[in-house]
This record gives sequence, C-alpha cells and structure tokens, in this order.
Amino acid sequence: MSPERLQFPIRAAVVGSGAISKEHLGFLSGRAAIRASAPVEHRIRLVGVCDLSPVTARYSADEYGADAGYTDLGELLAEARPDVVHVLTPPETHVAVVTTCLEAGAHVICEKPITPTHRELIELLEVARANDRHLMESHNYRFNRTVVEMRRAIDEGEIGAVREVGIRVVLPVTDPAGRFGDPHLPNPIHRMPAGVVHDFITHVTYLLRHLAGPVDFDRIAAAWSNHSENPLFTWDDLDAILIGRGDAGPVHGRLRFDAGAGPDTFAIEVRGSDGWMETDLFQPYLRTVRPRPGGALLSPIVNHLANGWGLIDQGVRNVGRKIMQRGPYEGLYRMLDETYLALGAGRPLPVTADDMLGASELIDRLVDEKVRL
Amino acid sequence: MKLYVTGATGFVGSQVVAAARARGHDVVAVVRPARPVPALDDGVEPARVDLRSRRGVAESLAGVDAVIHLAAAKAGDFATQFAGTVVATENLLTAMDEAGATRLVGVSTFSVYDYRGIEPGTVLDEDSPIDRSPALRDEYARTKLVQEQLYRDFGDGDGRRCVIVRPGMIYGPGNLWHDLLGAGLGPRYLRIGSRATLPITYVENCADAIVLAAGRLADPTSTIDGEVINVVDDDLPTQERYAQAVAARTEVPRTIKLPWPVVRTVADVLALANRRLLGGRAKFPGIAVPDRLDARFKPLRYTNRKAKDLLGWEPRFDLDEAIERSLAAERAGSLAGSPAEHGR
Repeated sequence: MSPERLQFPIRAAVVGSGAISKEHLGFLSGRAAIRASAPVEHRIRLVGVCDLSPVTARYSADEYGADAGYTDLGELLAEARPDVVHVLTPPETHVAVVTTCLEAGAHVICEKPITPTHRELIELLEVARANDRHLMESHNYRFNRTVVEMRRAIDEGEIGAVREVGIRVVLPVTDPAGRFGDPHLPNPIHRMPAGVVHDFITHVTYLLRHLAGPVDFDRIAAAWSNHSENPLFTWDDLDAILIGRGDAGPVHGRLRFDAGAGPDTFAIEVRGSDGWMETDLFQPYLRTVRPRPGGALLSPIVNHLANGWGLIDQGVRNVGRKIMQRGPYEGLYRMLDETYLALGAGRPLPVTADDMLGASELIDRLVDEKVRL
Repeated sequence: MKLYVTGATGFVGSQVVAAARARGHDVVAVVRPARPVPALDDGVEPARVDLRSRRGVAESLAGVDAVIHLAAAKAGDFATQFAGTVVATENLLTAMDEAGATRLVGVSTFSVYDYRGIEPGTVLDEDSPIDRSPALRDEYARTKLVQEQLYRDFGDGDGRRCVIVRPGMIYGPGNLWHDLLGAGLGPRYLRIGSRATLPITYVENCADAIVLAAGRLADPTSTIDGEVINVVDDDLPTQERYAQAVAARTEVPRTIKLPWPVVRTVADVLALANRRLLGGRAKFPGIAVPDRLDARFKPLRYTNRKAKDLLGWEPRFDLDEAIERSLAAERAGSLAGSPAEHGR
C-alpha cells in the first residue's frame, strides 16, 4: 500500500517555532529565496503553526501568513486538518508528536535527529506504515548544490570508484552565549545519546552513506571527547573511522566533529580511484581534481586552471549569495520543493525509509560503548 | 515595598537594585541559575530562575508588591532574542497572574518608535507613533515591539496596573562609546552625523526613574496606570559634543567622520536598488538600511517632561558628572554589568 497523491494546494502545518522554523516557514510561505519548480503559494497552503507559547504561535502565524496559530497539537490537527505536518520540536519530543500526527492522518516531515535510537525509528516507521502515511526525516544537506554535483560526478564516473569520504564539521557549540553552551537553560539536545554531537551526527552519517554509496561498514572506531571539559557537555568532539566494502572495493569513512577549531566549517572530501573532490557547505565551492583532456601530462595544469577559475567564480557568487541571504539551507528548500512535488504526484519522497534507517543505524553504532576509543 | 527585579545583575538592573535599596525597598533579584550569586546586601534576596522557562517563576513572585521587568536579549539571532525577550516576558506575566502579582513596570526602549514616519527636527515624545511595520528593523526592535504589546495586554486586564518606561540610549560604565555615534569597521569607527541631539540617559539617572515608577504604581492615588513614559536626561548633547566629552577623558576608537546626509542618501539608493532590481531580498549591513539608520541617527528633538511630571524625577547627574562617574567605576571595577541592554 502506498499513500494516495495529494491535491494542490497541499495543506501544511508546522509544530515547533524554534530557530529552524524560520527556514521551513520561509519555504512554506513562499518567502525563501529559492528557484522552486513553481510558485510555492500555488502548491501549498500554510494552515497552522503550533507552539506551546501562545505569543510565539501567534507571531509565527502572523509573520508567515498561516491561517491560525495553535498551542495545542490536537486542536491544530482537528481544526486545521493538515495534509503534512513539519515537526520541528526538540528531538526528545519527536516520537510522541510524530505519532500523534501520523495517527491523525497527516504525513510528517521531521527535523533531525528524528529519534534518539535506531529502534525507536523502526517503531515510528511502523506507525507510519500502519497509518499509510509518509514519514520523512530532513536530510537537507544532501540537496545542497555542491553535494548534488558531487553525487552526479560520482555517478558519471568522473573520479572513478569511491575509496574514501571525509566529513568535517567545525562549530563553536561550547560558546556560553550560544544555544548549546547556555548554562542557564541547558539545551534538550544534551539529553540525546551523543549529546550535542547528536544535533549534527545525522548530517554526517547520511552524507557519508549518500556519497559512499552502498557500503557495509564492518569496522567502526569512534573517539568521543569532551575537550572543553565543560560539565554541560557529555562530548564536544567526535573522531570516527569507518571501514567497509562497497560494490567496487574497500571504502573508508572519516567523520569529525570539532568544537574547538575555527572558523565554522562543513567540509566534505571524496577520494576516488581516479580523482577527488572537496567542498565546504558553509562557504560553497567545488574543487575537482580528475583526469582532464590532455592526458597525464597536461591534466595537472588543466586541473589548476579549471579549479583556479572555479574558486574565483564561486567566491564572487558567494558574496552575492551572502547579500541575497542564500545560506547553507538552500538544500532544505530544494528538498522540501521536491517533497511537495512528490506528494502531489504520488511519487516516492526524496528521503526514503532506507536512507533514514541507514543513517540511524550508523549513529547507534558510533555511540555504542564498544567502539569508543 | 518589595520589588521583583528581572535582569538584576545586568548593566541597568544592578543600578535599579541599588536605587531601590537606597529608597528603602526590599528587592527580589532575578539571578539566572548558572550565574554566581553576586554580593547582595540584607534587603536583597536572589530568585534563581530563567524566564525563558516557567519553572519556579510564579513561586519566586510570592509576596512582591511590584515587578520591574528589565530582562531582555540584545544579542543573537532572531530566535534567540525572541526567546530571551518575548517568551521570557510572556512567562513572567503568566507567572504574575498565577502569583497574584498585579503591578508591572515594563521597561521598553526608544527602539519601538517609527523613525521613518517622524519628520526630522520634530519632538519625539510618548505620543509619537510606534513602528507598525518593523520588518526592516533589527531583531532587537522587532522583539521589543512584541514585548510592549504583551505589556499593554497585561495592563488591560482587570485589577492590574502597568506602566511602560521607554529609556533612550542608556550610557554608563562600559558603554560610553555607544551605537548612536556610529558603527565599527575593522579597527576604525565610522562616526555618522555630528549635529543630531542624542536621546541618552545615564544609567543611574535611568534607574532612579524606573524605581520611582514602581513606587508610583503602588500608590493607589497615582494616575500613572497605563502610561508610557520616556526617559532621557536634561540638556541632551549633540553627537559631536558627547563624543568630545568622552574623548577628552578617555581613549576612544580612531574615527572616520561621515556626514549624515551622505550616509542616508547612500542607504536610500541601496534600498531602491534592492526593491527594484533584487526583489527586496538583499540584506545589507544595518547602517545601509534606511529604517535602521533613521532609528539611530535621524536628527530629532526629545522631551522628559512627562517623566518629571508623573514621577517627580530629576536626573541626578549631568553629562560631565556621568562620564566621570562611569570612568571611575570602570577603574574601580564596579558599576559594571552587561552594557546597553536597552537602547534604540
């Protein structure tokens, strides 16, 4: 059984008005600076915003043109009758909120991490299946322009067989002025199995799987550290190595989360049997070193010239992106655009249950005591 | 009288606590949970709550006669400031209802005025319009506008008494060189304008006005309920005079002076280009956005007549004394809190 296709305009609602809601609501209201396949307002109607804080619900509804603001999830579901609910509440509430939405007949798009553990995700997907509803976790960075381009280059064999994928996230999460380091009202993320790293580990695991392709990682080692020695944090640093075998041979994965280095970084490097690529999602560019016309003799020169020109071009574009407020959430808008088109066409959603299960299973293994160095 | 002071360890709050004690009031000082408890005198008891959560707030309000609400977030992204200013206020007001606390001095800011709609040279007073379309204003102005609406909604309730105090830019120790003078650009400072009058109040003067407002609110014969009161000092200086007064006494950043009309014209051209060519989606620095520029540098005139009439307030310290006291406090390491919690 697969859910029926939805009629446009699709009725959408948002639950939870924290920091990320600005991006979801920006898309749903047609305000986000995206090149959507068609005007969003023709395809989506924002029927409600729900938050425990009345003023927050009211403000978000007014600001983004929702039909109404709600403080009670049951009321939102009964009165606004959304086809799709975006669940943006703190992670430890996801299971209860998502279950309520699915059982009320709404499809759900949920922010990461969708559940604390793999087992809970399996159970949640079973609830979705039993209610014939879609459940999709946001894997937004997969849809960023440079990641899409990396995947295309891999698929077309430009760097040969993938041998290694390295992903490095650098963010000052221990800053006491930031939302994770605030000692007065500790962020709920600290209660997740990987602590604050759990807020980012979904990204790095789904990107690893997306770029490495189908790989059975049979050896995993993970070093978890609290380099800041801040008692608020269980860990603020992850250094993990994953080794496995894919269709074309061995594949290594290297995942890093670092709260002490700078500046903010989301670097991805993919090394293949014939070439390599790198990007940084926070300062987007794409550098590709691969066989070029001219053979082995001229390839290095052509690579230098092509990448030099590419860096200048992308540097200028990044200034424009900064002014035009196109940040690293460009992939979120693209993912949501594809999702709503798929819902309207009755097609599979761009993030599948297998994608979600694969990422959560890797997360479980990374936080497993047995692989802690 | 027992006063409940939020933001009590901050730049303004610490002076409000001192002013309240000087008038013989007892104080419940809100000190956030992870902050070390400062040295408090006998009449001050701490309340260890964070207003972004409702936990413990109603209990901490037991027995208070009036609430002075100063806590607000000035830094961070919109979500952070919304939580620290708007949600915190919502939680406080809900807790006041639960605790039966009915008197509120809601501290707001000059940031709420609609500077685009006020003609240059006119007198800005409590009847001047507030900004009803603040989409192009900064996060601080947008969140303080929502907070003010919460104050008004609270004041409209039966049996409640509320006064809104709007200070101008509050200066003092650690905040002598402030945002109404210009903006930093790397190691240099862009001084924008010179002849505009500065709507400023020295932190100790401002604290006096706030505590007086709480006292009037508790007086059943007072007519202060529902009023909005602006707080600026006497003999307001121009930007140039203020900058010279500070520079004569302490080290200030190396400045590049930019005439107000030039900066304003550049901002207008950029805003036009943004609307016509970029669909209004481009985001420029604050000093290149006319709405934000006007809020900081537009030449206007100001009055403190209502504060004097309703509160019986007189600023204790003039500009020169205030600067001297600020520098002495900076040297002594006292009087210091988080600067500029309330400005434009």
